Amino acid sequence: MAGLELLSDQGYRLDGRKPSELRKVQARMGVFAQADGSAYIEQGNTKALAVVYGPHEVRGSRSKTLHDRAVINCQYSMATFSTAERKRRPHGDRKSSEMSLHLKQTFEAAVLTQLYPRSQIDIYVKILQSDGGNYSACVNAATLAVIDAGIPMRDYVCACSAGFVEDTPLADLCHAEESGGGTSLALALLPRSGQIALLQMDARLHQDHLDPLIEAAMTACKGLSDVLDSVVRQHLQEVSVLTRD
Amino acid sequence: MIKTEKILHLKSSRGRKVRVVREHYLREHIPCFSALCQGDCANEGKILSEDLTHYVVPDAGVVRDFLEVLEFRELRGVVFTQTACQAVQHSRGRRQYNRLRSLLKDPRHECVLFCNEFQQYAYCPREKGEAQDKWQTRCVYHAAVWYFDHLAGLKPVVMITEDAAAVGEYSSLNAGVYVISTQDYLQSFWPDLQAARELHGSISQALQERESEGQERQYTEHLPLEVLEAGIKSGRYVQGTLNVNKHRAQLEAFVRVEGSTNKCTELNSDVLVCGGKLRNRAVHGDVVVVELLPKGDWRGRNTALTEGEAEDRTGEEPQSLPMPTGRVVGILQRNWRDYVVTFPLWEEVQSQSHGSQRILVTPWDYRLPRIRISTQQAETLQGHRAIVRLDSWESTSLYPNGHFVRVLGRAGELETEVHTILTENSIHVAPFSEAQLREMPVNSAESPWQVEAEQAEVRRDLRESHLVFSIDPKGCEDVDDTLSVRRLPGAELLELGVHIADVTHFISEGSLTDLEARARSTTYYLADRRYDMLPAVLSADLCSLLGGVDRYAMSVLWQLDARSLSVQKVWFGRTLIRSSYQLHYELAQSLLNGDQGAEPLELSQLDPAEKGRRLEELREALRLLTHVARLLRAGRDEGGALELEGVEVRAQVDADGNISALVPRQPLEVHETVAECMIYANHWVARKIQESFPHQALLRHHPAPRQEFFSQLVDSAKALGFSIDTRSNKVLADSLDQAMDPKDPLVNRLLRMMATQAMSNALYFSTGAYPVDQYEHYGLALDRYTHFTSPIRRYADVIVHRLLTAAIQKEKGVELKEPPANNKELEALAHHINDKNRAAQQAQKQSTELFQCLYFKDKDPHSDERCVANAVVYAVRANGLLVFIPQYGVKGAVYLKNREGQVVSVKQDGSCEWQSGSLQRHSDRISTTTAAGTHTFCLFQHITVRISVQSSRCHGDRLWLEAISSRPHRAPTNQSEGAGQGAGHGRAELVQEVVRWAEEASQKEAEGRAAAPKLSREEREFRQTRAPNLYTLLQEVQELALADVPSCQSTAPSVEPPACTASG
Repeated sequence: MAGLELLSDQGYRLDGRKPSELRKVQARMGVFAQADGSAYIEQGNTKALAVVYGPHEVRGSRSKTLHDRAVINCQYSMATFSTAERKRRPHGDRKSSEMSLHLKQTFEAAVLTQLYPRSQIDIYVKILQSDGGNYSACVNAATLAVIDAGIPMRDYVCACSAGFVEDTPLADLCHAEESGGGTSLALALLPRSGQIALLQMDARLHQDHLDPLIEAAMTACKGLSDVLDSVVRQHLQEVSVLTRD
Repeated sequence: MIKTEKILHLKSSRGRKVRVVREHYLREHIPCFSALCQGDCANEGKILSEDLTHYVVPDAGVVRDFLEVLEFRELRGVVFTQTACQAVQHSRGRRQYNRLRSLLKDPRHECVLFCNEFQQYAYCPREKGEAQDKWQTRCVYHAAVWYFDHLAGLKPVVMITEDAAAVGEYSSLNAGVYVISTQDYLQSFWPDLQAARELHGSISQALQERESEGQERQYTEHLPLEVLEAGIKSGRYVQGTLNVNKHRAQLEAFVRVEGSTNKCTELNSDVLVCGGKLRNRAVHGDVVVVELLPKGDWRGRNTALTEGEAEDRTGEEPQSLPMPTGRVVGILQRNWRDYVVTFPLWEEVQSQSHGSQRILVTPWDYRLPRIRISTQQAETLQGHRAIVRLDSWESTSLYPNGHFVRVLGRAGELETEVHTILTENSIHVAPFSEAQLREMPVNSAESPWQVEAEQAEVRRDLRESHLVFSIDPKGCEDVDDTLSVRRLPGAELLELGVHIADVTHFISEGSLTDLEARARSTTYYLADRRYDMLPAVLSADLCSLLGGVDRYAMSVLWQLDARSLSVQKVWFGRTLIRSSYQLHYELAQSLLNGDQGAEPLELSQLDPAEKGRRLEELREALRLLTHVARLLRAGRDEGGALELEGVEVRAQVDADGNISALVPRQPLEVHETVAECMIYANHWVARKIQESFPHQALLRHHPAPRQEFFSQLVDSAKALGFSIDTRSNKVLADSLDQAMDPKDPLVNRLLRMMATQAMSNALYFSTGAYPVDQYEHYGLALDRYTHFTSPIRRYADVIVHRLLTAAIQKEKGVELKEPPANNKELEALAHHINDKNRAAQQAQKQSTELFQCLYFKDKDPHSDERCVANAVVYAVRANGLLVFIPQYGVKGAVYLKNREGQVVSVKQDGSCEWQSGSLQRHSDRISTTTAAGTHTFCLFQHITVRISVQSSRCHGDRLWLEAISSRPHRAPTNQSEGAGQGAGHGRAELVQEVVRWAEEASQKEAEGRAAAPKLSREEREFRQTRAPNLYTLLQEVQELALADVPSCQSTAPSVEPPACTASG
């Protein structure tokens, strides 16, 4: 069997979604008490946990200190049980380092780092179950965690992946779609301003198709930001009810 | 939407079992595609109509194994479930799945896909420990129930399954949903559909038989796909298409290596696969992967007796240099189609099988192995030809398994044989369906067709302003091209016009007729009949540009400078014309010559003065046209257009029968005139669409031939003292003109024939698929060429018409309703059309051969004078000669050595007889040495041959030639005079005679049913033109489309006994 049929003639994807539909998103904020901020997100079967410490003094070598803004330190890891076949090394391999770097770039663009000179913000993200779109789940989880920590940001950072199959852009790819051999693009967006925090794509794509693909990813990101926004609001409501008493 | 999870157990790349969890989203609204929908489903596209008695939902098992039964168009209202489709995809692979997909897309077939697994209420998750097929059956049943409820019980739903337990379990659960077995279903709902029932029976029997198969391994297993792909990448294996040698089907097959994928550069020839074991169940046409054997095991081609026919093209010395030899390790793609087989006689069956119902049938095509099928009708079908399909070929089985589909008829009967030819070339020509005919405009005596007012407005009206006329063969009814020419007042300008029938006006893209025409791609001409691409109401009436009636046309009008003929202005567009004269070639020529008494039929009613004036007007137009055509031709000659027609027509005719009936006494100039105008129109349209759509225009190119293919031509010409220069088309044309033997005009004809054979075929292509420098047309010496002028009988022209319309609209700035097909689609379509054209030519050739055989069949070769003919040697082989018989237009082999090792010896008076001796072959002659002396046969020598028929029950009959004298049959001068005509008339006569016999035979047979044969004769009488018009013929020859090397090989009978009977 060479290749699954990612998009049927009737316009359904493998899991029954239409091309522009997102997977089901569920999120919770403030899952850990001892961290400054924390959040848990499920995007379909991709599950991610994010923890934020800071802003605090720069630890380790002092030379990393920046005088005009805060240093953002990101670490990405995957649980050994997160994939179908058990992983040997939870973090520190090439892929994880790259992912950490991408996360760092994304949040440097979104967090108002100049408010905290000479300090450091740590963001730790762990994938508990991996089913495609790891990067976007991490970004979304980390956004919620940063908000939970009370660190000011320009806007939510929402990330979503998009693929391109049979001349149709597909939003929010699952693992089967990602490994199906097509193009996959990851986009992190500041939805209100429409600014792009990060855009990453490895595979080949015809230039004519790039615009519709980015368009689809942006629409998906905006959809996600609505979901995240409602999660934040609900969390605030719960918290304020608790504190009022 | 509701999110659920699906747990699958898949195998990982390392072969371990992995538990995979996939999401599965369900939704409430899934379109049901029924016209009766009670909810508001978003039904788009194909919809099941209301007037059906029931809907049928086939189970996964039924779709998997009996898809062919469901493909019957008579079975309407089929609801395929997603579960069943996925079962097909997983267990049967891509090919079968694509077949199902195209079935679902085909608007002629009333079936829909219901995505039951995404429907909230129809979906049922698989329970723990539930077997896959049980679960699938349950899913399908739930889908059927949902469907019934969704339509509020308005339509009963029948679920068909092969699982007897399911019938018992589910049949009584719901009132409106019936669960029955497929067999019961076909019997009770479609009692008239005998064919479907039979097909079902034969498939299920084949399935049963397969289960009870022996376990003894006959072949090595194929390697898994991943290993093959890795092997191809690393260069360890070679991928290619398997070609079985027709004359040694058991032993030799060649794998044509696909150049681009092959990294192993030292491998520049085909790979030989010897014997059945190494071929490992691959069938002719499959894409296979071969592993090369070590060099020590390499073998050469077999160069014994049949060598001559096997590799005609290369013209190699008959030595057997070891060539790369390999064995098949895997098959990437089966290319199985429908095969025609012949059932063995009952006595043979009984001796061969022991009580089992399996029998071995022999395919018509020599290149296929015998096929094992199981049927209960073996006794009634003995000696019949039937269609079978291959199912599988297990490694435990010596022969492939197949099942029987349909009977064609008794072997040897005309109808059976014609249908055999059609099937073997994958040509499907069912009569046009009612739905298709309903799309057609009406033109009858009660409601005559009229020009629509809005069309008259948008079209340029040429009815009054232009003198339009057509020139076609006598009696032609499907006139698709007309011409006009006039001097423009004032300026020194000429206006030349080519007006082509506007077929695309009547056939909108995507309509049923369009789909059918696309599937056929061309009108098929067989020796005694034809199958039209378009329904008769269009091809013979509304699209045909008949004289004296208003017709829509697509026109190209050039304004030419009267002296230099340089183009000042070109106009393309839709027009409204009325052809004034429907001329035929002979009449046009005599008008041109100024013969007295020649006048078109249209003028016979007029008074003399008026007649004279009109006649002069027409003559003037014809004269002008001839003048223009001459100049155009001269311009093309400068560029190096190959002058192959005149002489070539007659030679080429040999390959395809009915055309030859058309060959005129002498080629008239007016033929060339018409052809030239058409080529000019094609050329300009090609330029226009290529400019407008640089990446998606359909053009036709003819690649320059490879120089080494000309070696036979050059060597043959050298033997006669002519030198042929093949460096470019211009010098080739010149040197062919000079190679003229005044004593024997056949020499030039044969040389041109060889030149044609050296060239490849002209092909359609999409401009986006090739670089610009490969657009050119070698034979016509044009940089751009396409087909525009015969939309009635070629689908390529229909596409070009649409492209031209789009180009005109684009120029005007009108927004296109739908953009033309993109490069990928167009290239796929071009491939399809090329394939179909090849099939059409092949079928035409085979039907001619069939008629030749039928003609000679009941003539006694020893007494009948017609069986003895003059032949010219055109090639020398190791064990014989290849000859051409001008009288019948037959090419074939004459063997100088028979199976007992005797050779032909020639006596004093020229007569031949078999004697023991030896043969010696030189490049241009072959000598036989016997006790009686030595005799030499040279190239281009005239000899006398006797024609007889070699009969074969399982395959087509063949002509057998035998040398009876080394002298010409008649005086060559006498012969050459009648050559062209003889061929023409001989052939026409031949076809008619055979048809008459067949009719008489059927008449005798059907004494009770008196009317039937008469009807058929009437049909024959009222058929349209018996053959394509001569212009097209000229054009095809010019394009060298018939330059098909196998054409001269396959007429040659084989010395070897048919391979299949040799195998035990």
